[in-house]
Amino acid sequence: MNKWLVALAACTAFAQDPRQIVEEVQKRAQSKSQQYEGTLEVVDAKSKVSTKRWEYSRLGAFGSSKSVLRFTAPAEVKGVALLVHNHPDRSSDQWMWRPAIERDQRIALQDRSTRFFGTDFSYEDLEERDVNQFDFKLLGEETIDGHPCWKLESRPREKKVSQYAYSYLWIRKDHYIYAQIDAFNKAGLARRIKYSDVQDVQNIWTARTIEVFDAAKKSRTTLKFEKLRYNVPMDESAFTLQALRRAS
Amino acid sequence: MTLLRLISFQYVRKHKLRWLLTLAGIVLGVAVFVGMHTANQSVLRAFHQTIDRIAGATQLQVSAGEAGFPEEALEIVQNSPDVRIAVPVIEASVNPGRGNLLLLGVDMTGDRSLRDYDLENNNDDAIDDPLVFLAQPDSLLVTRIFANAYGLKIGDKLPMSTMAGPRDFVVRGIMQSGGLASAFGGNLAVMDIYAAQKMLGRGRRFDRIDIAVREGVRVEQAQERLRKLLGGGYLVESPGARGQQFESTAQIYSLVSSITSMFALFVGMFLIYNTFEIAVSQRRSEIGILRALGATRRQIRTLFLGESVVAGLVGSLLGIGFGLLLARGIAAYVGAMLSEVYGVAQNVEDVAAEPWLLAAAITVGTLTSVLAALIPARDASRVDPVKALQKGKLQLIGQGENMRRRIGAIALFALAVGCMSMSHIRPLFYLGYLLAVMSAVLFAPTACNWVTRTLRPFLKWLRPVEGALAADSLIESPRRTSGTVTALMLSLALVIALGGIARSSYKSIQDWLVIALNPDLFVTTNETLTSRSFVFPPEIGEGIATIAGVDLVQMVRTVRINVRNTPVMLVCTDIASVARKAHLPPREGNPDTLYNEVAQGKGVIVSDNFALLRKFKLGDVLELPAPDGTLRMPILGIVTDYSDQQGSILMDRKVYIEHWKDTAVNVFRVYLDKPSFEPAVRARIQEMYGGRTRLFVFTNQDLRAYILKLTDQWFGLTYVQIAVAVLVAILGIVNTLTVSISDRKRELGVLQAVGGLRSQIRGTIWMEALAIGFTGLVLGFVVGAIQLYYTLEISRTDVAGLRLDYQYPVNIALVLVPVILGAAWISALGPAESAVRGSLVEALEYE
Amino acid sequence: MIQLQQVSKRFDGKRVVTALDAVDLSIAKGEMVSLVGASGSGKSTMLNLIGGLDTPSSGQITIDGERLSGLADDDLTRVRRDKIGFIFQFFNLLPTLTCIENVALPLHLRGWTRKKAEARSRELLDLVKLGHRMDHQPDELSGGERQRVAIARALSINPPILLGDEPTGNLDSGTGAEILNLIHDVHRTMGSTILIVTHDRGVAESCQRTVRLKDGRIIGDERRSSAA
Repeated sequence: MNKWLVALAACTAFAQDPRQIVEEVQKRAQSKSQQYEGTLEVVDAKSKVSTKRWEYSRLGAFGSSKSVLRFTAPAEVKGVALLVHNHPDRSSDQWMWRPAIERDQRIALQDRSTRFFGTDFSYEDLEERDVNQFDFKLLGEETIDGHPCWKLESRPREKKVSQYAYSYLWIRKDHYIYAQIDAFNKAGLARRIKYSDVQDVQNIWTARTIEVFDAAKKSRTTLKFEKLRYNVPMDESAFTLQALRRAS
Repeated sequence: MTLLRLISFQYVRKHKLRWLLTLAGIVLGVAVFVGMHTANQSVLRAFHQTIDRIAGATQLQVSAGEAGFPEEALEIVQNSPDVRIAVPVIEASVNPGRGNLLLLGVDMTGDRSLRDYDLENNNDDAIDDPLVFLAQPDSLLVTRIFANAYGLKIGDKLPMSTMAGPRDFVVRGIMQSGGLASAFGGNLAVMDIYAAQKMLGRGRRFDRIDIAVREGVRVEQAQERLRKLLGGGYLVESPGARGQQFESTAQIYSLVSSITSMFALFVGMFLIYNTFEIAVSQRRSEIGILRALGATRRQIRTLFLGESVVAGLVGSLLGIGFGLLLARGIAAYVGAMLSEVYGVAQNVEDVAAEPWLLAAAITVGTLTSVLAALIPARDASRVDPVKALQKGKLQLIGQGENMRRRIGAIALFALAVGCMSMSHIRPLFYLGYLLAVMSAVLFAPTACNWVTRTLRPFLKWLRPVEGALAADSLIESPRRTSGTVTALMLSLALVIALGGIARSSYKSIQDWLVIALNPDLFVTTNETLTSRSFVFPPEIGEGIATIAGVDLVQMVRTVRINVRNTPVMLVCTDIASVARKAHLPPREGNPDTLYNEVAQGKGVIVSDNFALLRKFKLGDVLELPAPDGTLRMPILGIVTDYSDQQGSILMDRKVYIEHWKDTAVNVFRVYLDKPSFEPAVRARIQEMYGGRTRLFVFTNQDLRAYILKLTDQWFGLTYVQIAVAVLVAILGIVNTLTVSISDRKRELGVLQAVGGLRSQIRGTIWMEALAIGFTGLVLGFVVGAIQLYYTLEISRTDVAGLRLDYQYPVNIALVLVPVILGAAWISALGPAESAVRGSLVEALEYE
Repeated sequence: MIQLQQVSKRFDGKRVVTALDAVDLSIAKGEMVSLVGASGSGKSTMLNLIGGLDTPSSGQITIDGERLSGLADDDLTRVRRDKIGFIFQFFNLLPTLTCIENVALPLHLRGWTRKKAEARSRELLDLVKLGHRMDHQPDELSGGERQRVAIARALSINPPILLGDEPTGNLDSGTGAEILNLIHDVHRTMGSTILIVTHDRGVAESCQRTVRLKDGRIIGDERRSSAA
């Protein structure tokens, strides 16, 4: 789930082949490690707002990273932590540390349409998109929020299991970062994800605000990154179950 | 049809009460039939419903008996390429104060993919965000029904006693009715599975893994591969399959209910036969007139059979009504029993009969009624119009028919004895049972005659006029009497059999209690000893052992496992220590080496009822499903043990821990240095653990009283049977006497005309009633002896595996004498009054 | 011995039927009276009232000095069993009892000891010339024999009054005459007061006195000096 940030980074290029465009997006987003404090705001159909905060750190690059996410607010979830080990060849291992019962537990997120901790993201939305699992088609060029973009269509290949039938991707021509993704299932538009507040962080162009709109539930989740830094020196031993237990 | 309306209806209207009483026979039979079977069906349905509703989208379930399995199995399952979703589940029935609650422990991070929780007001925060459950282990989702019952709203606290001491749980969501929320009758609460582990003391173990297979994989394929992956100790089956073994047990109860309802219908049949016989004799002149007016024999027969059909229909319908009421009570009982055995809690919410059952009930009820009316209808059709129109002596039962019946009875009895010798073939055994009952029924009129003839001199000696007349009344009209006597005989036979079984089992269980359950204190997690939802960690036992005055603590783990597809109780404890303390001689096996070898893990001991029910012998090798694979253990001994109705297997605790990786304990058996230390030790245990865990201390007397109370419920059933017998006696006797009086109207009139006082007339009718009661008692006691034999056999081989001694329940027989005679006397009161109130002139008049 | 004063009997049904209409009758001790009339004239009703089997709607009945009206049922029964013997048209013997048991019936009902009752019954059966049939049951006897048993039973308690309801009605004429003779013998030897309801002119005329009833009223009361 750390992978999803990779998709947020972008840089400039001039490839015209849709597949190359996406590959370039991935390439520009790469970093050795990452750290930030995130704020999540969920606004549901009845305008009820709930907020969560966490600290995040990732070590390692695309495909074999390890990451820790630790909730800091609200009070009742403070201390709950998530440890993820990504593997290039198989699905990730995930554990959770639960201070209230003082134990860790393995969690299996096999169903990727499941919503991520009460937000409008599904686990699938937050996964890194492996270029090889999709077919891309360039549909044209459009402007999103004043930025010229390529509009691509992506369809999962046969082997790939996805909750979506297809998605439209808008990728900014200037920095090779996503500007917007519309994901469709059989019933129509399922989710719209918008990327904004794009800044250059240590030479990686990064959207610092991501907004998801769930078309079915009519609710909206905003994720903001603070204190975002790339390539921070980190110790491998911080990404183990023992470390998780110690830190609480 | 016109005849039916013109003639029969008038008659029935005139004798409303008698017809109602008679219908009661059919009502009783049909009610028992419908009640028992509906209860069974409803329990079964509730069971399936609960499984289905809890299963949600689950396609396969992994389980390993009651002990569950270590968490690691989840990882193995989740990593299987066939599995799309695999989520762990703990299911336990707990009682937070007002009735049982099914507690479902789930992992909210993945569970919603399988189950739809459907919270009220679309307030899905509590489950949309698994953090609510993850971060707050006291979170609880409850159903609307449960919330109403406990007056709970979101945010309210529900205190529950847990293995970590008393805890307050917080309602975070209320599930809308329907779907999952209606499982277990709506008494359902969902909590975090890891919190449930702590609450129940389960350690890092799950009860079950619910699985949805990956798209494109066949369920059977996945099932096969998961079985191989997990080994023989695990059960991988579809949720529906969980109901199957349950059904096989329910079938045994169906068998028992069928026998009971058959008896009830038999009894009903004789009551109806009686009424029809009576109706025919009373309406003899009416029949004569009809015949004289040109009615054919066939028409007369049809008239009576038509009446029986109507009676049967009405009786069946009423019976169905009562049966459905009855079913509610029985369902609760059977449900509780079966959920204990199968660990699947269910709550019978709607007791409804299936259409085919109702159809069957009506058919059986009507058929019984028609069968009962066959002979009377034939008699009616044979009424000689000339004789019938002269008022005089009634046509008596033919000698030839009596003879034929006696021969039939003897032939059937011979066949029954023949079947008995081949009773290892079960259908033959049951056939023999049926034949024996039929033989008794056929022989009843003859026996009834013998008894009343024997009784006559005695009655005459007692009261020369009244006594002789009472006896003569019985002797002269065997048909009037024998129906009632037969009904009474059958129902008393049932009382005797049930009483006998209660008495024998009571005695055996008491003996066993004294020998096997001899520790001074028992420490358990539950106030009911049968509940195994909560378990102790062994450390508590070690702690208790350190208390001054405690001699020895035996840790007992009891879990249900599946052996040959039936659930059996596995009892694991320190065998060597038990052998030292409880001197239970084995029924089979070498008493010198047996316990040592079992303690060393070389085999197991099984209970006698297990061996009997499952047909195992000494030396047979049992295949026990353990999480680390199938465990093969020879049976080294067979002991008398009443721990469990389905049978028990005794194993050394070390062996269990080695293979099941489970150190939990259900009961600590505590021996004291001196019995007088009991209060002090008890107080100390409470002091050490009372606030920290969920714990109940029973003294030896408490426990014995508890077990004997359970056994007493058998006696409760006997009392119900006695009540039924009394009812039958009253129905039948009132019926018989009413007719006897109308038949003997003239005779009684003469008696009064020549100077008989009212009290003397009453006396003769009372004596007649007492004579009927007495005859019923004599025959009932004899047939009861036979019935008891069959009941013991059935219970030994097919139901409980209890090897009970044949002990005639003399005490119950003695109680029955005054009860039935009293009932007879009470039934005679009304008829006797009507006899003395009648007009003498009318009685003596001639037509 | 028997006194009827203004005795009426009405049967209340859908239609009120007056069976006896303010009848006055007096029968002296030792009289032998026949009661005749057409079917429905009220003669059986009158016999039933005198026998205490039924109670009058109004009027006064006195039997051997005891007034019947106002007596409780058991007291009525006591009067009946002490003072009245019944002889019925259809004999009304209990079919399951032997002759001697039938005759002893009223005695047992009065609580006589077995021995005494049996001795008395034997005596009576001898009297009606059935000493050889004592242990037979009624259905083994002829009609005349049965009626003789019934008479023996009626006499068993030595009642001052004998009531006969068509005692010969169910017998052929020869046997009927025999029975009639027996009743006359009884009348002569025991001096009983006898009242016989009959259709039979011969029977009626054999009595000293004949009371004729029609529609519930006495329309004739004729005395003869000597019996036929």
